[in-house]
Amino acid sequence: MTFSKDSTQDRSAFAQTGDARGVARVSRETINAIAVAVICIALLLGARFINPALGSWSQVETVLVLGSFLVVLSFGQGLVILTGGLDLSLPAVITLGGIMATNWIGMTDPTAWYLLPVVLLACAGVGLVSAIGIVWLRVPPFIMTLAMSIIVLSALLGYTRGSPRGGSPDAATALMKSSVLGLPSVIVFVIGFVIVGWLFQSRSVAGRYLYAIGTNLDAARIAGVPVVLMQMVPYVISAVCAGIVGIMLVGYSNGATLRMGDDYLLPSIAAVVIGGSSILGGRGTFLGTVGGALLLTTLGTIISAIGLQIGLRTIIEGLIVLTALLLLREELFQKLGSLWR
Amino acid sequence: MIDTTAPLAPSAARQVSAATLLRRVVQGGGMILFIYLALYAYYGAIEPRALRAHSIADLMNNTVPLALAAAGLTFVVLNRGFDLSVAGVISICNVTLAVAPLEGPGGAALSALMCLAIGATVGLVNGLLVGYARLQSIAATLATMIICQGIALVILRAPGGFVSEWIVYEMTDRLWGVIPVSGLVVAAVLLVWILIRRTDFGVSIYAVGADEQAAAMSGINVRRVRAGAYVCAGMLYGLAGFMLSAQTATGNPNSGAPLLLLAFAAVALGGTSLAGGRGGVFASIMGAATLMLLQKVLFSSGISSFYTGMFQGSVLILAVVFSGLIARIGERK
Repeated sequence: MTFSKDSTQDRSAFAQTGDARGVARVSRETINAIAVAVICIALLLGARFINPALGSWSQVETVLVLGSFLVVLSFGQGLVILTGGLDLSLPAVITLGGIMATNWIGMTDPTAWYLLPVVLLACAGVGLVSAIGIVWLRVPPFIMTLAMSIIVLSALLGYTRGSPRGGSPDAATALMKSSVLGLPSVIVFVIGFVIVGWLFQSRSVAGRYLYAIGTNLDAARIAGVPVVLMQMVPYVISAVCAGIVGIMLVGYSNGATLRMGDDYLLPSIAAVVIGGSSILGGRGTFLGTVGGALLLTTLGTIISAIGLQIGLRTIIEGLIVLTALLLLREELFQKLGSLWR
Repeated sequence: MIDTTAPLAPSAARQVSAATLLRRVVQGGGMILFIYLALYAYYGAIEPRALRAHSIADLMNNTVPLALAAAGLTFVVLNRGFDLSVAGVISICNVTLAVAPLEGPGGAALSALMCLAIGATVGLVNGLLVGYARLQSIAATLATMIICQGIALVILRAPGGFVSEWIVYEMTDRLWGVIPVSGLVVAAVLLVWILIRRTDFGVSIYAVGADEQAAAMSGINVRRVRAGAYVCAGMLYGLAGFMLSAQTATGNPNSGAPLLLLAFAAVALGGTSLAGGRGGVFASIMGAATLMLLQKVLFSSGISSFYTGMFQGSVLILAVVFSGLIARIGERK
C-alpha cells in the first residue's frame, strides 16, 4: 500500500517539474516496437502479391520456427549490449553446445535428456570465464569474447579432429520436430522463453540493475547496485542462450558442424540494434529485439522465396539493416516525440 | 566501452619515471616487437631452416594480408571506432582480381589502383555514415560489410577464377633473391604512415580518439577527420585484398571473412587501445606478424594445428591484460 502511494508521489513530483524523460523513453521504445511489428505483418501480407504461396499460415509458422534461433540468441546478446558490452563468442558457444550434444550425448546415449543441462553448464562456464576476464582483469569485452571464441573453436576442432560425428539427442529432436496443440513445440517453447526473458529484463530487480549499469556504471555503483556481479551475469546468460541455440540447431538439422554458429553472430547484433537498443548500452527492450529478430527472419524467407541469387539477397539484407539504422536514429525519435506530445 | 582516462598531455609528464618510459615503449609497439623477436629467436633455435631467405619470405607473404588489414583497422580504432567492413572489402578485391585478371606490370598496377579505389569507396560510405549521419560505427559498418559480402557474391558466386600470373609471381617473389617484395609493400605503408603521423590529419586522428569534445573545441573538424580515417582504412584493406590474391592466386567470395577477427586480434595485441587515442600502425603490423609467427612456431614444436587458436587466444588475453596493467601503473603517480 505504502509502495503505491510512494510511486504516485513520484509521478506528481515529475509532473511538477515538467520532467518528461520517463514518458519520452517509453514512447520511443513503444514507437519502435510498433513500427517493427507493423513492418513485419505488412511484409508477410505484401508477400502474397509476389507469390500467392507466401503469407499463408504455414509461412508464418516457418518464419517463427526459423526465427526461434535468433530470438533466443539475441536475448543474451541484448543483455550484454544493454550493459555496454558485446559478445563475439556466440558462434563458438553455439558450436560447443551443438558438438557436445552430438559427439557426447548423441554418441553415447541419445535418450539421456538429463545430460542436456550439463551441456548448458559447460556453455555457462565459457561465459563465466569471459565475464571474469572482462570484469576482473578489465579486458575490453570485444577482445575478451573474441579471444574466448578463438580458444573454444580451436579446442572443439582438436576434440573432434575436424569432423564432428553423432546424431541429435532425442530431447532436441522432440523439441524441434514434434508439435503441441497443433503448434510446433519449438514455437510454444519460444513464446515461453520470450515471456520469461521479458519479465527478467523489464520487470525484475536484476533487469533494472542492468539498465542502471548500462546507463552509468559509476552512478549504479554509488546507488548500491552490485556492479561486479551484475556485469558478469549477462555474459553467462548469453552463453547459456547460445548453448540452447546450439542444441536447437542440432535437433533441427540432426547433426553438428564446426561452422554451425558462424551465420548467427552478425544477425544477433543486427536484431538487437534494429529492435531499438543503443549499442552503447542502457537502452532497449527484449520485445523490440524479438521484433528485430522476426523482421530479419521474415525478410530472409521472403527474399529467398523471390528466387534472387544469394549475392543480391545479401545486398538487399544489408541495405535493409542500413535503412533501419538510418530511420531509427536518435534525432528522428526526438522529432517524433515532440509531435507525440 | 571500457572507460579509460585520456593520456596525459606531454607537458604534464616532464618527469619521465621508469614506469612512464615503459608505458611509452609498450604503446609505441616496443613490447610487441620484443615478443616477436623473442618468439623468432625461439623459432630459429628449434627450426634451423627458419633463418633462410626462403622461409623468411614465405612467412612474410603469409603475414602481409593480415598486417595490412590490421594497419587499416588501426586508423579507425585510433578514432575510437570499429570497422567490420574489412572482410567485405578484401573479398570484393579478391574476386575482382580473379574475375578480371590483367596481365603484365601495367595490369598489376591497374589492379592495385582498382583495389585502392574499391577500398576508398567503401571507406567513404562508412565515413559518411559514421562521421556525418552519426550512426554507431559498429552498426553502420556491419551493414556495409553485409552489402560488400553480397557484392562479392554477385561478382563471383563460387570460389574459382585465376589471379593474373604477373601478380602471383612477382608480388610473392624476392628481390635479388633476398628481400621479399611483400615486405617492401608493408615498408612502403609504414613510410606513408610515418609521414601522415606528422601531418595535421595524423595528429587529429589521435586527438579525436582521445577526446572528441576537446578536439572539436580546438578547431578540429571531427567529422572530416573521422571520414578520412575510414577512407585511409578502406584503401589499406584494398591493398590487403590485393596481396591476399597474390598469395592465394584464386578468387573466393568469402576470402576476407577469416581475417576479420584476426585483424582485431592483431590490433589489440599491438597494444592499440579500443577506447581510442593510443597505439599505432607499426604496433598493429607487429601484432599481425606475431599471430602468424605463433602459428609457425607451434607447427614446428609438433603441436597439432587444431590447437593454434587456443594459443593465439591466450596470447591475446595475456597481452591485453599485461599492457593494461602497465598503463595503470604508469598513470598512478
